[in-house]
Amino acid sequence: MERSELIILDGAMGTMLQAAGLPVGQLPELWNITEPEKVTAVQRQYVEAGSRVLYTNTFGANRHKVSGCGYSPAELIAGGVRCARAAAGDKAVRVALDIGPIGQLLEPLGTLRFEDAYDIFKEMVVAGEQAGADLVIFETMSDLYEVKAAVLAAKENTKLPVWVTMTFEASGRTFVGATVPAMALTLTGLGVDAVGFNCSLGPKELLPMISELRQWTTLPLILKPNAGLPDPATGAYGITPEDFTAELLPALSMGVKIFGGCCGTTPDFIRALNQALPAEPPLVKRPPAKNGVCSATCTAALDGVRVIGERINPTGKRRFQQALREGDIPYIIERGIEQQDAGAEILDVNVGLPGINEPEMMVRVVKALQSVVDLPLQIDSSDPAAIEAGLRAVNGKAIVNSVNGNAEVLDAILPLCKKYGAAVVGLCMDHDGIPQTWQGRVAIAERILNAALSHGMKREDVFIDCLTLTVSAQQEQAVETLRAVRFVTEELGLHTVLGVSNISFGLPARENITVNFLTQAMHAGLDLPIVNPNQAAVMDAVSAFRVLSGQDRDAERYIQRFANAAAPESVPQAGSRMSLPDAIMRGLKAETAALTREALETQSEMDVVNTLLIPALDRVGERYEKQEIFLPQLINAANAACEGFEVIKKQIAKQGRDSVSKGKIILATVQGDIHDIGKNIVRVVLENYGYTVIDLGRDVPVREVVDAVIREDVRLVGLSALMTTTVVSMAETIAAIRASGHDCKIMVGGAVLTPDYAEEIGADFYAKDAKQSADIARQVLG
Amino acid sequence: MEARLTEIERNQVLQYLGYRGGGVSAEVEADIARCRAQLMAAAKPRAAWRLFSLTDDGALAGTSFVLQGQDIRLLLHDCTEVILLAATLGSEVERLIRRAQVSNMTDAVILDACGSAAIENVCDNLCADLAATFAPRYLTDRFSPGYGDMPLSQQAELFGVLDVTRRIGVSLSASGLMLPQKSVTALVGVADRPQKMRHRGCAACNLFENCAFRKEGSNCGAF
Repeated sequence: MERSELIILDGAMGTMLQAAGLPVGQLPELWNITEPEKVTAVQRQYVEAGSRVLYTNTFGANRHKVSGCGYSPAELIAGGVRCARAAAGDKAVRVALDIGPIGQLLEPLGTLRFEDAYDIFKEMVVAGEQAGADLVIFETMSDLYEVKAAVLAAKENTKLPVWVTMTFEASGRTFVGATVPAMALTLTGLGVDAVGFNCSLGPKELLPMISELRQWTTLPLILKPNAGLPDPATGAYGITPEDFTAELLPALSMGVKIFGGCCGTTPDFIRALNQALPAEPPLVKRPPAKNGVCSATCTAALDGVRVIGERINPTGKRRFQQALREGDIPYIIERGIEQQDAGAEILDVNVGLPGINEPEMMVRVVKALQSVVDLPLQIDSSDPAAIEAGLRAVNGKAIVNSVNGNAEVLDAILPLCKKYGAAVVGLCMDHDGIPQTWQGRVAIAERILNAALSHGMKREDVFIDCLTLTVSAQQEQAVETLRAVRFVTEELGLHTVLGVSNISFGLPARENITVNFLTQAMHAGLDLPIVNPNQAAVMDAVSAFRVLSGQDRDAERYIQRFANAAAPESVPQAGSRMSLPDAIMRGLKAETAALTREALETQSEMDVVNTLLIPALDRVGERYEKQEIFLPQLINAANAACEGFEVIKKQIAKQGRDSVSKGKIILATVQGDIHDIGKNIVRVVLENYGYTVIDLGRDVPVREVVDAVIREDVRLVGLSALMTTTVVSMAETIAAIRASGHDCKIMVGGAVLTPDYAEEIGADFYAKDAKQSADIARQVLG
Repeated sequence: MEARLTEIERNQVLQYLGYRGGGVSAEVEADIARCRAQLMAAAKPRAAWRLFSLTDDGALAGTSFVLQGQDIRLLLHDCTEVILLAATLGSEVERLIRRAQVSNMTDAVILDACGSAAIENVCDNLCADLAATFAPRYLTDRFSPGYGDMPLSQQAELFGVLDVTRRIGVSLSASGLMLPQKSVTALVGVADRPQKMRHRGCAACNLFENCAFRKEGSNCGAF
């Protein structure tokens, strides 16, 4: 480096190549092989202007974008590194393997699997290292999940330093909603070497974001903005090299050390930058980084009480256990939505149950939760394999629950926390059980802390659980727990976690004891209570504590909570005049549940289903067909009936009997198609007719449908496709099912289908809507 | 010019929901009002556009994008320039609708309908702003890849030339579907004389592929 600490990157590549004759819309990476001297010529201009790190011309050289161009990613990348090396010559210029987004949206919004994204990046970084790149830069990223796949691919398969710059909008979020704190926490945790921003906006607009980023990380900062904002009509950028540099210089005093230019910048910009930057970087003292845990879009800063919801856990919950065994993921993730709505800020996720493949289930549940809930997650397991699987699948910075004072547990799990950048909960217990004195628990806490530090974790990522014991069994222990919480908070300076509900076990009016203990514990310093947020009294206590401790400024949240509190819902009385079919018809969930309970007092579950629920749904369906009601009312009625079925399922689960089911049906939205709302409507309706639906999701590969048909041996399969382009894969799916020799019936639906076309592609039935799919199910399954 | 979502029309939402006259219950009316408000709050409308000259052989100057099909040629008959545009409601809306599909399917279908009405509104506003910008010249109707005889495969070319993914965060799947789903791309011609609204009709509607009215052999009456 000519300047010991400041690093000057290069400017735009794509627009420079276009100026050299590359048509807009054509693959720039091809030139690494077909016109290498033109690529090198651009990069040589940057070196002459002062660039000391050159990005290779490989932004889009991924398997997905270059397919069909005649060259593999590895060939294009090797060519790209060669061009940059040639431009660097004998100067002290580093070559950065440049990698941009894959160009396909990842799950959960898109269909590209995290694991597939990892493979795509792996292929690129391995090729880059082999070709002799000095570091990897992932740039212009807007999906934090994609960045995580990329960083893991680089760190697990190469020794190259990893830099990441993401692209944000002026709102402070990326296109997919990621925030600056989430980016900082996640990437710092994953151990990248420098972070920052590129593209997006001009230097002026990026300064406030740098100012936020530096509050959340102590990593070196990168700034590579566009040349202002483009003219929408022509795409041309407005500001001069001098203005660009002037706007960029204030970033020096924020501690930014790595500068460059993105869209619209040229060698003139880099030259101006090189001339304007001081010989010595100013001495900037960076603030200590704030801490927290996060999803990609939501951060729980550790600066006050943060409620961890405990309900995603099968322990003692028959209905939840049944959902796990049946793979009923919607039931499980609904518990997540419910807790978020009730005020949880972090969700504990425990899916351990004998007979369940825990690592696999952990991944499924974590991914499904992330598709509908944006809270940070706490991976709750004692199985290192399940913990690692969960940590890998998490988008953001998670917590691991838990380790204890046993050396073998610490050695197995702490390295995982370090690698994935997670915080950890340490339980104050070991081989000898739970110490009966607060001093004994604190001693274990210190042992856990030291182990974490020796594994390279940060002190502030160690959370201690001083353990709640049941007060009715060991009365003196409540006080010991509270003393331990106070000591760990005040003397060790660590955050504390505590599952509080256990305190009141075995006593009447448990809520009094639980809430009082929670309040005392928060007073002692507890900031991460694990509770059932659906209990209003618990959340009321937390709200009140936040006011009294000064965390809730001007009692704003408290006032909001109670100003919006609705009048308590009138509990429908048994014996009210409304009939169960009426309640369903009107879409009244609470009434339907109450009336179902009432009916079960005198009738069997199957009778209630067959004589009350189903006929009511039939009446709704008839009215829908006559167009007396329309879709929202049909679904409302189905949802109400669902409450009735839920009552029945719970009663059956409680008695440990097999569920009432009228038969299994597989549903799938075919490969290539992601419009699955219609399929989901059909699922709701079929479930409420008492069928067990195995929902394979959307964009389901042909093979997966066939495998499921054979494995589950179903008699009916429903396929949906919405576009003319994807009806083709519906036809392929049908052909493959037929070829397998399985004799199941196939019904199809979707906007572009017609009865004739359904017949032509070999389906047995065409369902024009959800109502008709229920009629078909009855015809096939009874 | 900023992308603007100004209104989600109740009647349009009802139509998308399959409403064919008759009464709308108070419950459904309330659900629609609530979902409209939620969708308005979640939407982060964005748009990108760029003006290109048309070459004699129907290509966009300076690019490798050649417009295919008779219909687009007809539309651009009087035009020497064409605007490529793309608009989206953003990923928050996508997430909102997906979440509702788990917690409340009724809300999900209503939100979905609101989203369709909303992206139409964003496009209408954008075209009105463009018309003002380009006055005294005149704009043609919007025309999207997949309409008429323009193959849907041209969507990928439009994405590349307009740099849609980088500029507004919409990505295109291998089978040609846009994500977030509530997104639109289109071409609009710029002409020196007033243009007939020739492509207002079912084929020009973004709901063409999944329109229940059309499948019943009727239409929604909007055009």
